[in-house]
Amino acid sequence: MKNHAEPREKARPFIAHPAVGRFVAILATVSGVFCLIVSILLIANYLQIQALDPLNQPELLALRQRLAEAPEADPALVEPIRVMDLLARKAFFTSQAHLHMGGMLLLAGVIAFLIALKLAARCYPRPPAPVGSKDPDRYWNERARTKEILAFAAVVLAVAALIAAYLTPLDIPGPARAEPSAVTEVEAAPAAFPDWEAIQRQWPSFRGPGGYGVAYFDTAPTEWDVATGENIRWRVEVPLVGFNSPVVWDNRLFLTGATESVREVYCFDADSGELLWTRAVPAFPGAPETPPKVSDDTGYAAPTMAVHGERAYAIFGNGDLVSYDFEGELRWGRNLGMPDNHYGHASSLIAFGRHLFIQYDEKRAPRLIAVDAETGEEAWVAQRKKISWASPAYIHTPLGVQVILNSERDVDAYDPESGRLLWTVECLDGEVAPSPAYGGNTVFVANEYAMSTAIRLEAVGAETKPAIAWEYDELLPEVASPVASDRYVYIATSLGDIACLDLETGKTVWEQEFDDGFYSSPVLVGDRLYALDLEGVMHIFGAGAEYKLIGSLPFGEGGFATPAYLDGRLYVRTQKSLLCIEQRDDSST
Amino acid sequence: MMRCVRLVAASSVFLILTGTAAAEFRFPMPEFASDYQPPQVHAPMPDLDNSALDVAVLAGALAVAAWLTLKARSRRGLFLLAMFSLIYFGFWRKGCVCAVGSLQNTVAAVADPTFEVPLVVLAFFVLPLAFALFFGRVFCASVCPLGAIQEMVAVRPAHVPKPIEQVLALIPYLYLGLAVLSVATGAGFLICRYDPFVGFFRQGASFNMLVLGGVFLIAGVFIGRPYCRFFCPYGVLLGWMSRFAKWHASITPGECVQCRLCEEACPYGAIHAPSTVGPPVERRQGVRRLAALLLATPLIVGSSAWAGAMTGEMLARLHPTVNLAERFTQEERGVFQDMTLDTEAFRSSKKSVPQLYAEVDEIRRQFRRGSAWLGAFFGIVVSAKLLGLSVVRRRGNYEPDRQACLSCGRCFAYCPVEAEPKASTRSDLPS
Repeated sequence: MKNHAEPREKARPFIAHPAVGRFVAILATVSGVFCLIVSILLIANYLQIQALDPLNQPELLALRQRLAEAPEADPALVEPIRVMDLLARKAFFTSQAHLHMGGMLLLAGVIAFLIALKLAARCYPRPPAPVGSKDPDRYWNERARTKEILAFAAVVLAVAALIAAYLTPLDIPGPARAEPSAVTEVEAAPAAFPDWEAIQRQWPSFRGPGGYGVAYFDTAPTEWDVATGENIRWRVEVPLVGFNSPVVWDNRLFLTGATESVREVYCFDADSGELLWTRAVPAFPGAPETPPKVSDDTGYAAPTMAVHGERAYAIFGNGDLVSYDFEGELRWGRNLGMPDNHYGHASSLIAFGRHLFIQYDEKRAPRLIAVDAETGEEAWVAQRKKISWASPAYIHTPLGVQVILNSERDVDAYDPESGRLLWTVECLDGEVAPSPAYGGNTVFVANEYAMSTAIRLEAVGAETKPAIAWEYDELLPEVASPVASDRYVYIATSLGDIACLDLETGKTVWEQEFDDGFYSSPVLVGDRLYALDLEGVMHIFGAGAEYKLIGSLPFGEGGFATPAYLDGRLYVRTQKSLLCIEQRDDSST
Repeated sequence: MMRCVRLVAASSVFLILTGTAAAEFRFPMPEFASDYQPPQVHAPMPDLDNSALDVAVLAGALAVAAWLTLKARSRRGLFLLAMFSLIYFGFWRKGCVCAVGSLQNTVAAVADPTFEVPLVVLAFFVLPLAFALFFGRVFCASVCPLGAIQEMVAVRPAHVPKPIEQVLALIPYLYLGLAVLSVATGAGFLICRYDPFVGFFRQGASFNMLVLGGVFLIAGVFIGRPYCRFFCPYGVLLGWMSRFAKWHASITPGECVQCRLCEEACPYGAIHAPSTVGPPVERRQGVRRLAALLLATPLIVGSSAWAGAMTGEMLARLHPTVNLAERFTQEERGVFQDMTLDTEAFRSSKKSVPQLYAEVDEIRRQFRRGSAWLGAFFGIVVSAKLLGLSVVRRRGNYEPDRQACLSCGRCFAYCPVEAEPKASTRSDLPS
C-alpha cells in the first residue's frame, strides 16, 4: 500500500518524444491515406447506385408498360420482367454489401488513424505557457463584451427567425375550423341580405347581377397591355385549376379550384390581388369516396361561386356545397350527393333575397334547390323534368322577381320564395350549356342544334304569360351564353362568330367573324360589348346598330371564364392567372 | 509533419463519413412473387432485452467515472472509460437507449399520460442527472457515447473566444425547447432524428445524417466536443444539476498557487479566472444597470414569446403530417410532377384530404402555442445569462465552471500541486 505522503506518480504529458513521434506521424499519414482511398471508393459506389436507379431502367419500364397495356398477362412478358427485376435487386443489395464491407474497413482504418494521431499529439506536446501579464481589467472587459455580443446575437436570432418565418409560409390550405358536419350554424346574428340596389354595385355571380350578362357600371377599361403592364393593376397565379369565373363583393374576390381529391376556395384582395385565404373543403357526411367522372372541359370546379353580402357560396363537381364568411370561417356545408351528370356538374350558384339557388341537374332527379342563404337549411325544392349545364338567372318583371332556368327542352321560371313554377316554354333541344339572357321584358335563350327563341313576358293579372316573339337558327352558341340589351341581343358562338339581332324582330343587325371561338360569355357594359375568345383575346365593340370594333386586346393565355366588370375595373381569369385591369382615365368612361 | 497529418485527418474524417453513406434506402418490394429474399437494410430497432445489464453498466460506469474524476483524478482512466463507453453504449448497443434521447421519452410521458416509459429509459434519464447533482457532469466525462466519440477525435482542440462560446451556448437551450415542443406536439423525437453519431454506431443512416456527423467530428478535431457544448439538450439539464453538485472536480487537488499554468488548459472554456479586482464601474452605476436589466426582463421574455409564436407555422414543418400535407398540396398544384413514397401511400390510403388538412390545422395550432412558450423560454435564458454577467462575483482562484465543466480531467496535468504529496488533497471528498 502506498504512503499518502508520497509524491503522486502521474505521467507528465509535456515531454516530447520526437523519435516515436515521427513513427506515429508516418503511421497516421498511411492510415489516413488508406481511409481516403476507401472513402473515395465507397463514395463512387454510392453515387453509382444513386445514378443507376436499377428499378427504373428504361428497358424494365418499357416492359412493364407493355404488360400493363396487355389485356391479359403475357408469360412472354412476365418472365423477362421478373428476371430483370431480380437482377436489379441483386445488383442493389450486392452493392449494399460492398458498402457495408467498405464501412467496416474504414472503421478499422479510422481507429488506427485516431490512435496514431493521439500518440502523435502526445509526442509533440504543448506545455502550458501563460501568455502576457495578468491584466486585472481583462476579466471585466471580457464580461462586458460577452454581454453585448450575447444581447446582439439574441436579437439577430429573433429577427432571423421572424424573417425565415415570413419567407417560408406554410402553403397548405387553411383550416376547416369547424368539424365537418351537415350544417354548421353561425352563432352571430345574421347580417341583412343585400337588396337589388346593393347587388347591382357588385359582381356577385356568374355573368354579374341577376346572372344575365349585364354590368351596371359603364366604366370598364378599354385599353391595356399585358406585355408592358399598362393598366394591369395586378396579376397572380391561381393555385388549382377551375373553369369557374371570378365573383366580387366590395374588395373581396372569390374563385374555386379543384382536382379529383382536393377542393379549395380562394379569397383574394380585389385591390391588391393578395391571396387572403385558401380553404380546403372539409369532408362532409355522404360525400362520395371516389370522385365522379367528369369531362376535361368541365373539371371539378366548373360552377362559379355566388357571393351575397358577406357570405360566399361554392359548389363542386362532387356535390359539396359550402358557405364561408369573408374571413374564411366555414359557415355551413354539406354534400348534396354524387351528381349523376355525364359531363360533370357545371351550373353556377346564384343568390337573391334570403335564398341561395342551386340548379342541381343530375339525370335521375334534376331539381332546383333553394336553401336559406344564412343557415344552409333547405327552403324548397322544385323537381325538373330535364337537365342542362346552364346556370340560373333571376330577372325583375312587372310581377316581381323570377328565377329562370334552361333545360334540354324548356325554359322555366320559378317563384324565388315558394319554388312554384310560374311559366314554362318548350323551345330548346340538345345538351344545353348557354344560360338565358334578359332585356326589354324579353327572355332570350339559344343553343346549338336548337332554335334561338325570344320569349316576351306579359303580365296578365297576377300571372306572367310567356309568348314566343320570334325564332332564329343561323349562328347558335354552344357554350357561351347570349346577352341582351333593351334593343339588341348578341350571340357568341364556339366557331368565332358574333351575331347582333334586333330584339324586337329577331332580324340580323350585323354579324362578325373572329379567328377563335367563344366559351366565355359576352357581357354588356354600358354601350360596349366585351367578348373574350378561347385564345384569351378580349374583343370590345360598340353595342349599337353598326359593328364597330373598339379593340382586340390579348391576355396571353386562353380564356374560358367570364370576366367580372366593376367600376373602372375588369377581373379576368385566364388559364393559369387572375388579372385585374384598371383604367381610370376619361377614355374608359 | 504534424500539419500534414492534420490536413490528412480533416479530409479523411470528412470522406470517411460521406464514404460510409450507406443511406437507408427505401427500396420497393417486388410486386410479384419471386424466390429472392431481400436482406434487411434498415436500421435496427433498439434492443431492450438486456435492459437490466445496460442499467447496471451505466450505474457502474457513472460510479467509476465519479471515482476517477474526484478521487483518483486520472485523466488516463477517464479516457479509457470513455473508450469502453463508446464501444459498449455506442457500437455494441447501437447508441440506444441513450440518456440524451431518454429526455424525449420522459417529456412524452408527461405530455401524454398514456405514453409508457420503460424503466430502463427512465433509469437512463435519471441516473446521469442524479450523479451530476452529486459529482458534476461525470456522465459527459466518460460515459456518454456521443461525448466519447468526440473525445476520441479531439486531437488539437483550440479555444473558442469567451463571447462566441457564450453565444453558441444558447443553442442547446433552443434545441432542448425544440425537442420538447416536437415531442409534445407529436412531431417525433427530434434528438434521435438528428443524432449525428448514431449512424456510425449502427453503420447505417441517411446520407445527410452521416455528413452531419462527419462535420461534427471534423470540427471536433479542432474544437473540443462541439456537439456536447453547443448542441446537446441533455447537457443543459446536466449543467443545471452540476451547478449545485455536492462534490465537483477541481483543477487543483490542494491550494491554488495562482501559477496560471491551467489558464489555457481547458479546451472547453470551462475554467473561471480569478476576479480579485472589482469592476471598473462604480457600484451605484452597476446597480442601476442591473435594475434596468431586471425591469427589461419581462419585455425580453414577452417579445421573445411573440417572436416564437410567429415562427410556429414554420416550425410545424417538423411534424411529418405537415410535411406530407405540404408536399401533397404542391403535387396537387403541379409544383411537383412526381409523388414521394409518403404521398403515394397517402393517396392509396382511406384517409381523406380534408381529414389530412384538419389534422394539419390542429398541429399548426399546437405549434403556434408551443412556439410562444419556446420563445418565452429562450427569452428567460437570455435574460438569465445577461443578469448572470451583470452580477459581480469575486473569485480568488482558478476554478472550473460547474455548469460547463465536463469533468474530463484535462486540466489535472497542468496543475503543479498535482505532484505534491497526496496528503494535501481535498479532505471534503467522499471516501
